[in-house]
Amino acid sequence: MEINDYSNYPGIASRMSFIKDDKKIDESFYKIIEIRQLTDETFSLKLPKARFQFKAGQHISLRIHGNHQSREYSVYSGTNDEYLEVLVKEVENGYFTPRLRKLKAGDLVEVHGPFGRFGIGPKAAETGKFVFIASGTGIAPFRSMIRSYPGLDYTLIHGVRKSTEAYDKDEYAADRYVLCTSKDAGGNYQGRLTGYLKNCTFAKETQFYLCGNSNMIFDAIEVLKEKGFERDQIHCEVYF
Amino acid sequence: MKYHLITLGCQMNLSDSERVSAVLEGMGYIRTEIEEEANLLGILACSVRQKPIDKIYNKIAQWNRWKNNRNLLTFVSGCILPADKEKFLKTFDLIFQMSELAQLPDMIREYGIVTPAGLKQPKPVMPKNEHITELWHIKPKYQSTYEAFVPIQNGCDKFCTFCAVPYTRGREVSRPSSEILDEVRHLVDQGYKSITLLGQNVNSYGLDKDGEEINFAELLRQIGEFGKTSGQEFWVYFTSPHPQDMNREVIEVIASYACLAKQIHLPMQSGDERVLIKMNRQHSMDKYRRIVSDIRELIPQATLFTDIIVGFTNEGEAEFQNTVEAMKEFRFNMAYIAMYSPRPGAASYRWENEVATDDKKDRLHRLSEVMKTHSLRYNESLVGKTIRVLINGSDRKTGFSTGLTEGKLIVRLDRRDDTLMGKIVDVTITSAADFSMSGELHEVHIGQSQ
Repeated sequence: MEINDYSNYPGIASRMSFIKDDKKIDESFYKIIEIRQLTDETFSLKLPKARFQFKAGQHISLRIHGNHQSREYSVYSGTNDEYLEVLVKEVENGYFTPRLRKLKAGDLVEVHGPFGRFGIGPKAAETGKFVFIASGTGIAPFRSMIRSYPGLDYTLIHGVRKSTEAYDKDEYAADRYVLCTSKDAGGNYQGRLTGYLKNCTFAKETQFYLCGNSNMIFDAIEVLKEKGFERDQIHCEVYF
Repeated sequence: MKYHLITLGCQMNLSDSERVSAVLEGMGYIRTEIEEEANLLGILACSVRQKPIDKIYNKIAQWNRWKNNRNLLTFVSGCILPADKEKFLKTFDLIFQMSELAQLPDMIREYGIVTPAGLKQPKPVMPKNEHITELWHIKPKYQSTYEAFVPIQNGCDKFCTFCAVPYTRGREVSRPSSEILDEVRHLVDQGYKSITLLGQNVNSYGLDKDGEEINFAELLRQIGEFGKTSGQEFWVYFTSPHPQDMNREVIEVIASYACLAKQIHLPMQSGDERVLIKMNRQHSMDKYRRIVSDIRELIPQATLFTDIIVGFTNEGEAEFQNTVEAMKEFRFNMAYIAMYSPRPGAASYRWENEVATDDKKDRLHRLSEVMKTHSLRYNESLVGKTIRVLINGSDRKTGFSTGLTEGKLIVRLDRRDDTLMGKIVDVTITSAADFSMSGELHEVHIGQSQ
């Protein structure tokens, strides 16, 4: 059962005892520790990690207390971080993200999960070669992987419109991070990230991880297939 | 005291309804199919489409009018989206999740309803644990004597963009394999012939337990081993699997054991890569093709069923043609084709539903025509052959019986014999149609081992 203020509804007094007695409810609610503003539109929510166990690359479902809608967000923090963090870009005229943005430290959000199997195993993390391809906030699961597995052999290709959207870019080694900007010249490559991909060469055994909007993912898959990589080497997480 | 239960939607709800019946009858309620004579009226809801939700609103309005004249208690459970749940809270007396079913007697007693069980000494309070495993401890009241559903997993972590199930049933939880095996053994001992393992993603079975539970292939293997030693003829099915977790090992196991039915339902949803990505299906056509190839190689006699959505957001004519080509390539025996309709709560509900209804209807029709040619060709290939058929229905007017092959294809028999209901018999196929066949029953000796 969900925690809601049902007391105004007629004829449900008998149910209240079941709601109150259910300890599980408390485990889903988290108080926001901090909101980090990264750009005018993008921010992160930091939550206490407490009992929450996840694998780098997984996502959670977030619900604002008292609202019946929920949305999924990849975890932005690493498994060893003491907090749980998600990356959110406010959608203009959207329903959920403008409400999320109005929250402040101390407000409650409901968290469910973790969900999904987008990620790399600890063994593969030690020996594999990885190319992470992200558009916009699709960088979130990759930051989580990079923070969770120190020593990871990765290249992170991040496609954004403007260089101001290079969220937390200083955390990544300069020789492993490629910023592709379509609307300004402040990145390593000006243009769409698929344009950059076309000119790249990658080792045959590379595993590719793609995260972002569905059009970017589809186009990137096409480029990688043209380069001779098998579909099994390409792992996707679509953002909506 | 009588109860009336309406079950909407999928086999999962049917299975849940058997457990709801068991709980209510354990309280002393007697089932009635006549709403007007029931004291307790309940619905197991389905949120996959809008129509069943509309039906619930109509029903509860009617039931609440009846309350003016008599004492009634109403409840709703099943797959309910949060927005509908808020409205149901105002109209139904009780609303609960399936995981809370064990607490239903206490909820009813709190309304002061006296039942035969309520007059007895109160039982110790059930642990208030919303975990779904509570539900599985309830022994169901099976509605058939030869066909049963066994839940093995509940919930969904896949978040397909067209579907709201993760928001109504929660995350994937696997039932302990020991309970599943016990229930299957019990059913076979009772003479059940068709057993369907149920779950939203059956082949993700065990993956939520991080190595502390066997996987789906091993579960099937253990059922297969039991089948080998049971001395009984029975068929075990499963639905629905997700292509993401389907692998060669599962298919090898199915091929190895006679009791594991040679019928596979593998939802494809679309034959177009771009649409699959937009649907967040987490499998490619390459992967789907490889699974079908493994099925054809290892179980050539298997029938193949699928689910397809036409008219999904961004599906243009070119994308639809890829689905048509896939339909031709995979030669499905049956495809459950649905026109896309946005569901509140699903991610795609927020997108423009841009394919016109007439185009969806046209695509559904065209795809059905392609499917028919393949199903007819397959059915025709069975003419003259003698195959095993589970008799599961009869028509008093026409004198026909109906049955299903192991591959779940419909067979009509020009003879009605109620003693054969629930028996697996030999039938020689005499003619074939698009979606069914006709056949002649072989002589059956009463007492013949089944």
